[in-house]
Amino acid sequence: MIAAAALCPAAPLLVRELTGATVVLPELRAACREVTGRLLRARPDVIAVVGAGPQTRTWDGASRLDVASFGGLAAAGRGPAGAAAGAGTAGLPTALGLGARLLDEAGYAGPRLLQAIGEDETPAASAGAGQRLSRAAGRVALLVMADGSARRGRRAPGHLDERSAGFDAEVERAVRAGDLQALAAIDPVLARELMAAGRAAWQVMAGALDSRRLDVEVLYADDPFGVAYLVAAVGVDEGGGPGSDRTGASQ
Amino acid sequence: MSRAQGVLRLGARSFEPEQLLVMAIVNRTPDSFYRPGITWDEGAALERVHQVVAEGADIIDIGGVPAAPGSVVDTREEIRRTASFVAAVRAAYPDAVISSDTYRSEVAREVCAAGADLLNDSWGGPDPQLAEVAAECGAGIVCAHVGRQSPRTRPHRVAYPDVMADVLRQTLGLADRAVAAGVDPARIVIDPAHDFGKNTWHSLEVTRRLAEMTATGWPVLLSASNKDFVGETLDVPPDQRLSGTLAATAISAWLGARIFRAHQVVETRHVLDMVSAIRGDIPPARAVRALA
Repeated sequence: MIAAAALCPAAPLLVRELTGATVVLPELRAACREVTGRLLRARPDVIAVVGAGPQTRTWDGASRLDVASFGGLAAAGRGPAGAAAGAGTAGLPTALGLGARLLDEAGYAGPRLLQAIGEDETPAASAGAGQRLSRAAGRVALLVMADGSARRGRRAPGHLDERSAGFDAEVERAVRAGDLQALAAIDPVLARELMAAGRAAWQVMAGALDSRRLDVEVLYADDPFGVAYLVAAVGVDEGGGPGSDRTGASQ
Repeated sequence: MSRAQGVLRLGARSFEPEQLLVMAIVNRTPDSFYRPGITWDEGAALERVHQVVAEGADIIDIGGVPAAPGSVVDTREEIRRTASFVAAVRAAYPDAVISSDTYRSEVAREVCAAGADLLNDSWGGPDPQLAEVAAECGAGIVCAHVGRQSPRTRPHRVAYPDVMADVLRQTLGLADRAVAAGVDPARIVIDPAHDFGKNTWHSLEVTRRLAEMTATGWPVLLSASNKDFVGETLDVPPDQRLSGTLAATAISAWLGARIFRAHQVVETRHVLDMVSAIRGDIPPARAVRALA
């Protein structure tokens, strides 16, 4: 069962050494640190990182982000990071690599499961993947690396699509309210048009949490670079004891 | 044989080989070639110091005698123009690196007493006592190439079988002399001295072959700011030489020069930071493009 979940964006700028001399968006970084820390405090048997990838598959828990593929001084053969970072995992989806990195930064050394969810996976298949994850161990914590629309302004990566504001507002509302049905119902076609890369991962989360009662705190919701970032800590009502609440809460 | 660059010490500061330093020019003269007289007034000169420090200058180079021939500036007058001013800059900026653009040992003694850290002898060591003063004061020294030119004269029909060979012979000879006089080797800098004892072809060639100087291991100073070789190359007057100067700055930084004597600090700093970032020595100030 799911013991806790966290939502973070899958933005490479979360990698400190990629933004240069400036710590970009310290408040976003702090929020991600905070929700990751709460996952650890939920005493999970395993932490499952979920993020979009070209196809649905699991990755070895020891996989790491290939930071140099984005640049940084290590890519120039300079800086202590070059020696310390070591080689990343070729082909590992960025979202999973960033999640693995958040866990590293939080000092998490326990078991991890890296689940890529195909960008074009259907809502039903995504929910199914989530349900399987929830059964992966007695206590599973979910770190969901998911972004909203990247078309939120004229300087956004995908330029402006007027529909993005309403789309992201509905996602944020659903997350705040713990409205898993609404997340499960997000239209994949619209999400793709709006470059909302997190759609399938949200639906994995919805499937994993099933109909549990949630205690959600949103720590960050903004779009400083035209991409909707949402950072949330999702507490799960564990009343009824492990294993007994699932059926009880599902109606 | 090539020797690695080491730590450069100036005053109380130490600079690693990959740090590129801007030496801002502050002339206490009424008649220097670039914007003559702009800091002749002491108040204006101090204002300029405040400005260049704010703009990121690492070294303040204070001169009291123009390079070109003209009205006589004797030792006494040079001291009058520079020593008290060095003291004023030192008082305002206790940690700044102050350089004195002088070739005279009597002046050197006074400016070092007033707080100068580096003796920028642009004239290739005409006063052999200068290195001894540097040694006595714990100051650094710049060893420049001028061929056979005397201070405040213009080169006339100069020719070299191999200009870089002459530059190396003279600058390394001066560096050895400074070491022998007791100057800390970590405080010795060499300078090809563009335009000094050189025609435009010579200055372009020493720029092109600057790696031969940096391979000696001595830190190299580039003093090319708005000079005639830029003007002749581009056929532009002094007030239109910035882009040419910056091109020479970028190339020289890439080839390993470490100190850049400049009139325009902001632009020079930008060029050096770009070179450092391209080389991978420093990160961009702020990178978010395509990372959001």
